Amino acid sequence: MTELQKDPITRGDFLGFGLLGTVVGAILTIPPVAFVLSPVIKTDLLGESDIDEGWQEVASVSDIPTDEPASFTIEFPIEQIYAGPDVQNQFPDEKRSDEEFTLKNAVWLSWKSEINHDTGKIAKVERPSFLDEKSSGFSESEREELKKNINVLSNSCAHLGCPVRWLINLDGKGEFLCPCHGGLYDINGTYEGGPPPRDMYRYVNVKIEEDGKLYVKHGYDIEPGLDKQQPYVV
Amino acid sequence: MVYNAATGKAKPVEEEIITEENVYDRPDETVGFFPTQVLYDGYVSAFLLIACSVLSYYSPAPLSEPANTATVDYVPRPEWFFFFYEQMLMFFPGYALISFGAVAIPTVFIVLLFALPWLDRGPSYSPMKRPFASVIGVLVIVTVLLNMLLAVSRIINFPGQ
Amino acid sequence: MIGRARSQAADASKFVVDWMEHRTGVVTHMEHFLYEPVPKRGAWVYTLGSACLFLIALQFLTGILLLFYYVPTTDHAWDSVYYIMNDAYFGVLIRGIHYWSANFLMAVIGMHMAQVFFSGGYKAPRELNWVVGVVLLLLVIGLAFTGYLLRWDQDGFWASVVGMKIGSYSPFIGGATIHFLLGGDTVGPATLSRFFAIHVWLLPAAIAPLIGLHLYLLRRHGVFGSESEYTERLAKLHETQRLEEYSRLEMGDDPYDDDDDRYGDNGSRNGRE
Repeated sequence: MTELQKDPITRGDFLGFGLLGTVVGAILTIPPVAFVLSPVIKTDLLGESDIDEGWQEVASVSDIPTDEPASFTIEFPIEQIYAGPDVQNQFPDEKRSDEEFTLKNAVWLSWKSEINHDTGKIAKVERPSFLDEKSSGFSESEREELKKNINVLSNSCAHLGCPVRWLINLDGKGEFLCPCHGGLYDINGTYEGGPPPRDMYRYVNVKIEEDGKLYVKHGYDIEPGLDKQQPYVV
Repeated sequence: MVYNAATGKAKPVEEEIITEENVYDRPDETVGFFPTQVLYDGYVSAFLLIACSVLSYYSPAPLSEPANTATVDYVPRPEWFFFFYEQMLMFFPGYALISFGAVAIPTVFIVLLFALPWLDRGPSYSPMKRPFASVIGVLVIVTVLLNMLLAVSRIINFPGQ
Repeated sequence: MIGRARSQAADASKFVVDWMEHRTGVVTHMEHFLYEPVPKRGAWVYTLGSACLFLIALQFLTGILLLFYYVPTTDHAWDSVYYIMNDAYFGVLIRGIHYWSANFLMAVIGMHMAQVFFSGGYKAPRELNWVVGVVLLLLVIGLAFTGYLLRWDQDGFWASVVGMKIGSYSPFIGGATIHFLLGGDTVGPATLSRFFAIHVWLLPAAIAPLIGLHLYLLRRHGVFGSESEYTERLAKLHETQRLEEYSRLEMGDDPYDDDDDRYGDNGSRNGRE
């Protein structure tokens, strides 16, 4: 083993190391970090979203049952890496995989209901009576009334995002139950029990067309400051 | 170190005077890593490999339905080694407590794990001679096992499962 | 005739060994590695660490094999796992070993940690090995979490969604955490790609050198085992200490007079290694 040779570090050496370290370090740290964190930068700093902002059809209002919620599938086009519309537009003839371009989610639709506080059962359903006579051709005011009285709820539990289900108890009381940790909500999505911190997520942008079709846009009733928790499965 | 390549597997020189400093330098009885320990390791490894092979046919690695983001009747369950953690989340409702139970407590626990060698600096090695550390350790294990049991019972009793 | 052949073979092998030794020093290293004395009494207990090593090696091996068929895209991930399980020769075995050794690994790591904890194996000078071990534990947990999503089946998907939502509750960095994991603001193809990259490259690349460091530190300070490995030596030590005590009392000395830490002339325990 040869003896170690410890030469002094000159001012030039020091500057050289400093320069090399800065240049190489900058190239090897900043771009990779931005590369990996680009979804964070796009979402948190620039406020961009992967989800299409247009109206998506859900169901016809006449399909909503009177005294219990029904689940419908809603399909949002999304733009994520290889699922972008750029590629589709560039090669319109080639049928590339469909599955990557949309994300499906279940929505619970129901009529707003008053709950009897003693029994927990539904006391009164706010279902407009004109629905018994017609299922399309609604006037402006009727559409307003329909919109006001429909619950459009995401099926993502406000606790940890598990899919909630509608369950009728032994004593006939209906509730949304989260199968993961037992969060409970009533038919309007109001928090009843368990660990969830809030009510079920409600779609805020809802519109009903003349033919009775219900459309939603992506977006929930999120209180300011608590926007970090969302149903991330759209 | 007392031993070196020259003495090899041989017993330590008995004239050694044992002091507080060197008492833990080498154990009373040693054996060469090869062959004894290697053979034991081999037995255990072979047992594990055979167990894995048998289990992969007896109870094949699960593959449930393809992911469906729009499901309303699927019951998500974690893997068994996350049961205790999942069960813990039951006890922390509301925004503040979820952060506390799901993130703050595990973070503190991990920091304590890292700091353990500096928290317990006493000279004793035996668990009997450092009861505080041992009791904490047993408590952690008991908590984890109890939470696992609770999670299992909750999963078994879940309606519709 | 046979004797001559045998001696020639011996010469040849000796030549090869010497040649390698001269060029690489590998023979000496192997001897150091293989013939190190280790504690004898708890030998079976000390197989836990090597069992972890073996299981992780199995993970690497079967993981590489699974990559020959696995496709990390949302429309084909599940199909490719299905292919592995139903069409590839021994696919059930390869994936089964990956799955079962991962499960065993979690259990064995827990036992390994408990053994080290209760035997005090993390004490000086082995603190850093404990710290490296905790990092390894976290990496293995990360691997377990990210691996579950890759099948893109209901079990893995929803468990990962719950896991990511838990991350979103982190104070201050909740949003960044979940958007990093999702690769956007919703579950989608980017999520699977990220989990794939983390599970297959990032964490294994981090875990491999740390395992090397863990083993290096283990060998540097020797296997500790537990205090029961040192009972005779401790008994001898206590005997000597008692004799010293007696002799000092007989001489009428205050034992704590000039040597108040009772550790002899060095007066310090820092020299122990």
